[in-house]
Amino acid sequence: MLPACIGLIPFGLVCGVGAAAAGATVWGALGMSAIIFSGAAQIIAAQLLAVGAPIAVIVLTCFVAGLRFLMYSAAIAPYLRPLPPRSQQALAFLLTDQAFASAIRRFDAGGDPRAGGLHFLGAGFALWACWQVTNVVGFFAGNLVPASWSMEFAVPLCFIALIAPHFRNAPQVGAGVLAGVAVVALDGLPMRLNLIAAGVVGILAGTAIELGRERWTRR
Amino acid sequence: MDAALKLWIVIVVVGALNYASRLSFIALFAQRAVPPLVARALRYVPVAMLTALIVPMVLPGTPLAVPLPPTPKMVAALVAGVVAWLTHSTPKTLVAGMAALWLLEALAARIG
Repeated sequence: MLPACIGLIPFGLVCGVGAAAAGATVWGALGMSAIIFSGAAQIIAAQLLAVGAPIAVIVLTCFVAGLRFLMYSAAIAPYLRPLPPRSQQALAFLLTDQAFASAIRRFDAGGDPRAGGLHFLGAGFALWACWQVTNVVGFFAGNLVPASWSMEFAVPLCFIALIAPHFRNAPQVGAGVLAGVAVVALDGLPMRLNLIAAGVVGILAGTAIELGRERWTRR
Repeated sequence: MDAALKLWIVIVVVGALNYASRLSFIALFAQRAVPPLVARALRYVPVAMLTALIVPMVLPGTPLAVPLPPTPKMVAALVAGVVAWLTHSTPKTLVAGMAALWLLEALAARIG
């Protein structure tokens, strides 16, 4: 769990800096980190607010980026079945990329689901608390870090750490490469609609490659 | 529209949609299986969406460009990708990526 918190520190700082750059007050920045509680969505929202995109575009782009939570939710649901509904509702709120990675490893190792649930609750809450602190520190202190340190580069690095382990089969590589090409090719679209368009292109490409490969091997 | 009001609308709506996504199969459709085609497509959401976010943060310029020789950020991102692929570790990826960036920028400054 500690490595996950350490990994979040620069990411949280940069999200706080982003909120400040988008013109939010400290309460707005805290609202983003406490309620949205997703680095990717906070970065998207801050960037799109800064370029003056309409609310509908911001919400839609964040929603597509948040679709990965559907997948996490489906993967973790069977392990949470034995827990009471209140615990399930609380754990769902704490479901993030990092908490999911930590919890699913623990659940897959087997053992008592209640102990696994408690582990998830502890890990998720520690990450949430760590996230609020780093976001607020970033909001106030972000501009004290010299620009020459390029701390903003920590954000793509955090995302790279999340996705690189997935690059192990043709559909995932295809999804990543096509999304990357599409986001550059569609850069001319207004209001950064290239983000959402490239995400959809990548998702369709991965699915199509997987289905095509299956048909091929069945022959 | 008032900027603060717009921000809070975004916070509440995105927060609610995020929570609905997180709660979806845990509680909202706990009794239902994920449709197989949806399950397949969802597997590609993290890689597709996060790559779409990463690329504009690594490439220079508006509009985005892919220059040759590559910039220090492009090479550092590649180094970080290899480290992440091998180690599955966020701290190691961060250290490798930032160290590569600083080193390459220092080198580029000396040469340039």
